[in-house]
Amino acid sequence: MIALLRYQFGVLFRSHRWILPMIGYALLLAVGGAAGAAAATGPVRQSLTSGLDWSAAILVPVVAVLTRSMLTAEPGAARACIATASSPSRAQLATLITAFAAGAALGLAGAGYELLTSSHKAGLLAPLVTGLGTTLICALVGSAVGTLVNPPLIQHRAVALLCTIAAVILAWVARISPANAALRGNGALVHSSAWPTGLPLAAALVAVVAAWTASCWLAGRRGE
Amino acid sequence: MRLEAVGKRYGLRQPWIVRHVTIDVAAGTLIRLEGRNGSGKSTLLRIAAGALLPSAGRVTGRPHAGYVPERFPSGLTFSAREYLRHMSRIHGLAGPAGLAAVDEWLERLGATEYAAAPLRTLSKGMCQKVAIAQALLSKPGLLVLDEAWTGLDQAARGELDAAVRERIAAGGTVMYVDHDPARLASDVAERWQLDDGEVTVRTGAATPAGTVPVDRTVIVELAGVEPSSLPRLESLPGVVSVAGDRAVGEHQAVTVTVVGQHCDAVLRELLRWDGVHVRAVRP
Repeated sequence: MIALLRYQFGVLFRSHRWILPMIGYALLLAVGGAAGAAAATGPVRQSLTSGLDWSAAILVPVVAVLTRSMLTAEPGAARACIATASSPSRAQLATLITAFAAGAALGLAGAGYELLTSSHKAGLLAPLVTGLGTTLICALVGSAVGTLVNPPLIQHRAVALLCTIAAVILAWVARISPANAALRGNGALVHSSAWPTGLPLAAALVAVVAAWTASCWLAGRRGE
Repeated sequence: MRLEAVGKRYGLRQPWIVRHVTIDVAAGTLIRLEGRNGSGKSTLLRIAAGALLPSAGRVTGRPHAGYVPERFPSGLTFSAREYLRHMSRIHGLAGPAGLAAVDEWLERLGATEYAAAPLRTLSKGMCQKVAIAQALLSKPGLLVLDEAWTGLDQAARGELDAAVRERIAAGGTVMYVDHDPARLASDVAERWQLDDGEVTVRTGAATPAGTVPVDRTVIVELAGVEPSSLPRLESLPGVVSVAGDRAVGEHQAVTVTVVGQHCDAVLRELLRWDGVHVRAVRP
């Protein structure tokens, strides 16, 4: 698995497929920062909590796009060689882990940016821990979305794209979605009484495990 | 290794590409798959290699496998050496052993000077060499070749033939598809004839119907051969002699004597040459 992950990280970095999601994430971060500053009354800078909520929520589409990038990065023939050398499902798992890890790294960088640019009058440690939890949850949701709406589950390119948009919007607006709670801000995802402690994380983990399992099971069963 | 009631279809409402294949594969055998286009050869090869999972049945006792795809149009940005290094690790060859295997196969296939170039800049033949190298790195117990010889130069084809014989000699199994009926013909132990996804196994290297016995020669009369391409003509596999007046004219009639076994391959090659016409083929 280590060898597969090294290969997949090589594919990600050498193919420059990480650049577009990263630029998108940076733009959204900047937009959120500007909007937060405009909305804030009194002190010009928004609070660290809502900054971290924003940087986590926008991670959903970014990780979904990264996942698609990784799932479509290799030509079919190269995938077949890798699958022969390991197994189709292990190769698939390595691809998904790579996309998730890259997305989580972006999320950490985004959290770092918020830490530097937001005001932390309300304390540092508690909002940071809450924010990092939200970031992890949103990265998981993004990975689940990206896995479910791309090959091998959805093979058709246009359908995959439309489903990605729909799923991301749903993840943002559905009240049940952890990403929605994150968007509502003020650390609602982790603190809200509507969400028992740990439930959002557990739900996101279940979603990811289900999506990854389906994807790995289908890899090697569907043709290109 | 054993294929047990193996079947494959690419979806519930799709037709079966491979159906009810039950075969015991003995170690140390060279197996040639035959059948017309779309008969399921590539699918069965991928299932045997483990790159594709069957929709029905199963494959048991598969040794570590190497697979060479039909085309290796790499969109990957690795250099040939980096890619092979990754593949050696994935095949379980760590450290210096992996490096040594990579260099050995680059050398044997004549790809060393292109090893640092990105895969996407390489020619079709050079990419094919990389695909072959990755499959052979770990000395696999099962080698699966899907038209692997296509696009290779003469030297690399010979090297691949040699590699196949080495695998067989080491007790490995090699399964292959190739359009040239003469390819490894004398080494083939089993021929799997695919017809509509079903397999008929024949043993021995019997000459496929329609080809000329090996010991006879065939005379091919050509027109429009440029003098500059005569050496190339002489170097084709199976060409015994080339007769024609080299001094006369720009294009000329040439009589070529070919070993019967290679006749089809030579004709196929000649038909691709610009300006060359086959005027007659006689025993």
